[in-house]
Amino acid sequence: MLLNNQLQNNIIYYHGPVNIDLISFTSNYMKQHIQADTVVISKIYKVFIELAQNVSYYSAEQYSNLRSFGTGIGWFRIDDHDDHFAISTGNVIFREHGLVLKKNSEEINSLKEDELRELKRNTRSQAGQRDIGAHIGLIQTGLITGHSIELSIEPQDEKFSLYTITAKVNKR
Amino acid sequence: MKNLIVDAVPDSPYYPEINFNAENGVCKLSGESYMEEAYKFYTPLLNWLKEYTLERKNPVTLNLKLTYFNTNSSRLLLDILDVLKKSQEAGTNVAINWYYEEDDPDVKDEVEDFEIETGLKITMKPME
Repeated sequence: MLLNNQLQNNIIYYHGPVNIDLISFTSNYMKQHIQADTVVISKIYKVFIELAQNVSYYSAEQYSNLRSFGTGIGWFRIDDHDDHFAISTGNVIFREHGLVLKKNSEEINSLKEDELRELKRNTRSQAGQRDIGAHIGLIQTGLITGHSIELSIEPQDEKFSLYTITAKVNKR
Repeated sequence: MKNLIVDAVPDSPYYPEINFNAENGVCKLSGESYMEEAYKFYTPLLNWLKEYTLERKNPVTLNLKLTYFNTNSSRLLLDILDVLKKSQEAGTNVAINWYYEEDDPDVKDEVEDFEIETGLKITMKPME
């Protein structure tokens, strides 16, 4: 649930099972309703799908009553700020995955654009066909936005952490 | 060899429309691609292309009219391009056209990355 001060800039907020049909519906709703130029909307659309699919694939909480694949539980929100849009997602992860995610995001945030593209090419060419690829999705998010990815990992108990990520798309 | 056709489904816009024509070798992917378990969708396409180009040595023109594809789909698109690269190295005529939307800010880098990874020449054309 959002607090009052979190509602001020909020366009979309959802918390629950996230599957491909919800992602598709929400991303197309955004295209129709967000007030921005087409380049900005294109970037929001791409970033949202990558981040939301990571929730559906990798959340440690899976909604088993819907389908066997890709229905992780988590949340996403899109906020409209003065000079940028913020796309955020959150979900529970196994604690041991937190270190890898933190290391990956630090690497992405440390690289220049050309270096990031090289990392994307190397990561993609080494991935298997069935690798649904959270790492390459984060690399692509960094490339699309040109911003650092903001990541937070808060331990919840001995087994799980809460993983949140925010990507920003500049207005033009 | 039969044509490979997958029609667009409005309720599932995350699957692209496919038309691989065995009579003239013109193969088209259009729409968007961000389905779950992309390898299941792309495996028949890869098998069709391998048989058509690598085994039967038929020339092929690939027309990519994808307005969006996620990173998982890009991994499978790379596999398609790798098949065409092997066919080209084996002497088959291969042409690849990438149709893009003028207001897509990222497509030129995407195509350039595919060219670097595969060594193929990809011709960029504005979407009509």
